[in-house]
Amino acid sequence: MPVALRALLIVILWVLCGVGIHSLPSGATPRFAEAPPSQEKAASPVFLTEAINPDQGLPMVHVAALAKTPDGILHCVWYGGSAECRPDVKIYLSQKEPGGRWTQPVSIMTREQAEWDLGRPVQGLGNALLIAGQDGTLRLLFVTIAMGKWSGSQLNSSVSKDGGLTWSRAEHLTLSPFFNLSELVRNRPVPLHDGGWCVPIYQEFLGKFAELLWLSNEGVWRKSRVAGGCSVFQPSVVPTSADSAVSLMRDYTKARKVQISNTSDGGLSWSQARPTTLPNPDAGISGLPLGNNRILIAYNDSPKDRSDLSLALSSDGGRNWSKLVSLLHEEGASFAYPYLFPTSDGMIQLAYTWKGRELRLISFNESWLNDQAARSGKP
Amino acid sequence: MNHLLIHQLYAAIAPWSALALLLLGRNPHPDLSRKIAAILLSALVLFVIPFSGWTIAAWLRVLEPNPSITLTVLLLLALTSRLAGHPLFRRQDWNAAWIFGAFAALVLYPMGLGLTGIDPYTWGWDPVLPLVVAAAATLLLFRGNRFGIVLLLPFAGGVIGIQESTNFWNTLVDPFYGAAALVVSAILVLRRCSPLTSASAVID
Repeated sequence: MPVALRALLIVILWVLCGVGIHSLPSGATPRFAEAPPSQEKAASPVFLTEAINPDQGLPMVHVAALAKTPDGILHCVWYGGSAECRPDVKIYLSQKEPGGRWTQPVSIMTREQAEWDLGRPVQGLGNALLIAGQDGTLRLLFVTIAMGKWSGSQLNSSVSKDGGLTWSRAEHLTLSPFFNLSELVRNRPVPLHDGGWCVPIYQEFLGKFAELLWLSNEGVWRKSRVAGGCSVFQPSVVPTSADSAVSLMRDYTKARKVQISNTSDGGLSWSQARPTTLPNPDAGISGLPLGNNRILIAYNDSPKDRSDLSLALSSDGGRNWSKLVSLLHEEGASFAYPYLFPTSDGMIQLAYTWKGRELRLISFNESWLNDQAARSGKP
Repeated sequence: MNHLLIHQLYAAIAPWSALALLLLGRNPHPDLSRKIAAILLSALVLFVIPFSGWTIAAWLRVLEPNPSITLTVLLLLALTSRLAGHPLFRRQDWNAAWIFGAFAALVLYPMGLGLTGIDPYTWGWDPVLPLVVAAAATLLLFRGNRFGIVLLLPFAGGVIGIQESTNFWNTLVDPFYGAAALVVSAILVLRRCSPLTSASAVID
C-alpha cells in the first residue's frame, strides 16, 4: 500500500471517527427529576379500588403499566391472550379521564402489526410500558419474542402523538450484543432533568440481572448495569435526590428477599445488591419515593407465593422497612406485578394483576398511608 | 429509501455472500456459469423462497438483525476474491481480522451476557471504543495491513446509520464473526505452538 494512500486512509478514518463521536448524545451525568406525590396536609384519607378491564374476558392478562398525560388522562397498558408467550397475545390500552371510568380496552399492538412494522417474524408479545412526555406524546416500549420464550425477548418502541389513537411504526431497539437477546421492561420509568428517561430493564437469558435504559428525546442514549450474574432483576428505581436513588429488585437468589442497591452518581454505578428484610417469592415489586428519604414499596409479603399483596415503608432511604398494611390476602390466589405510580392530584395509584385474569387499581393518598402507619404503630 | 429497507438490505448482504461462497465450492477457479449460478441461486434462496410466510432473509434477521460491518466486508472480500480469481487479502491481513474478532468477542460476550458487573457493550455508546478502534486501525494502516481499511468501514457505516443498531460494537463484531474468529485464532495459535507445523502455519 503506497504511503500516500495510507496517510489518506488514516485522515479519512479519523474524520469519520470524529463525526461519529460528535453525533453521540451528551455524556453528561444524568439527574433524576421524579417528584414525590404532592401532599395536601389537610386531605382526608382516600382509598379506592376498581377494575381496569372488568369485562375483557381473556384467559390471561398481565403486567399493567401506567402513565399520565398533561391533560390529566391516566393510561394503562398490559398484555393479554390465551397464555404467556402465545402468538395471540396482544397489547391493550385503556384510559381514564379525571373523574371518569376506564374505557373499553383497545388493542394497540398485535403480533401481526409488530411483524409488519419490524419487517421480520415475531413469535409473540410481552411486557409493555408507557412513557408520557410533557407535550402529551406517549411512547410505548414493548417486548417482542423473537424465539423461544422470555429469553428470546427484544425491546421495541412506538410513539403516539394523539393520545393513543394511532401509533408510529414500531422500531426495534438493539440493546444486547448476543443476537440482541434478551431485554425486557417491567417497572416505572423515572424522568430526568434534561427531559430524558431512565427506564428499568432486565436481561433474562443466560443470566438474570438488572439494567437501566437511558432514553433521550431522540431515542436510546445508552444502557448501564445495576447488577450482573444470575441474581436480581426487574429493578424498580426510586430516586431519593437528583443524584441518588435505590434500586429495589426481584430476587432470584436463595435469600428470597427483596434486594436493594444504591447509586449516588445518577445511576451510572450501583453498589452490590444486598437483601432487605422484606420477603420476595421471586416476584415483581414496585417502589415509589415519598420525599424526605421515605420510600414506599408494594410487594408480595411471602417467600413462597404471591397470595399476599402488601405495602411497606422505609423512612431512611431503604435501610429499614416496616410493613404498613396487607392490601390483599387469599390463600392460593395470585396478586402479582404491582406498579406504583404517583399522579399530580396527590394520589398514589397501584395497578396489579388480579388472579391472572384482571388488572385492578388501588388509589390512595398519603393521609391514608399515614393512617396505616399509625395503626401499625410504625410512623 | 426508508431506514427499514436500508437495514433489511444491509442485513442480507452477509448471508448472501456466505451462501454464494458455499455454492462456489472448494474449486479455486470456478467457471463463469458456476459463478453466476452461485450468485443468483443464493439470492433466490434468501429473497424469494418463502418459509412459513417469510423469506429466509427475514428469518435470518430474527436471529441477527445487525451483522457486523467487519464480517460483511470480509465476506464480500472473500467472495470478490473467488469471483476475480485472485486474493485481495494476504495472509497477514486475514490473521489480523481473526485476532481482532477473537479479542473483541472475548471481551464483549462473556461480560455483555452478565458474567461481571461491568458491561462492555455500553462502551459502544461512548467515545472511548471508537477512539480505541481508530487507534488500532491507524496502527494497521501504518503497517500496510489491509484489515486497517476494513476497520475504517464500521465508522462510515455508523455515520450513515446503515445498521438498525446505534451501538458501535454492532458495527465491529457479531456472534458469527466472533465465533469464527475464535475458532480460527485457536487453530492459528495451535499451529504456531506445534513444532511440526510452525513453519507453515497458513490460514487464508
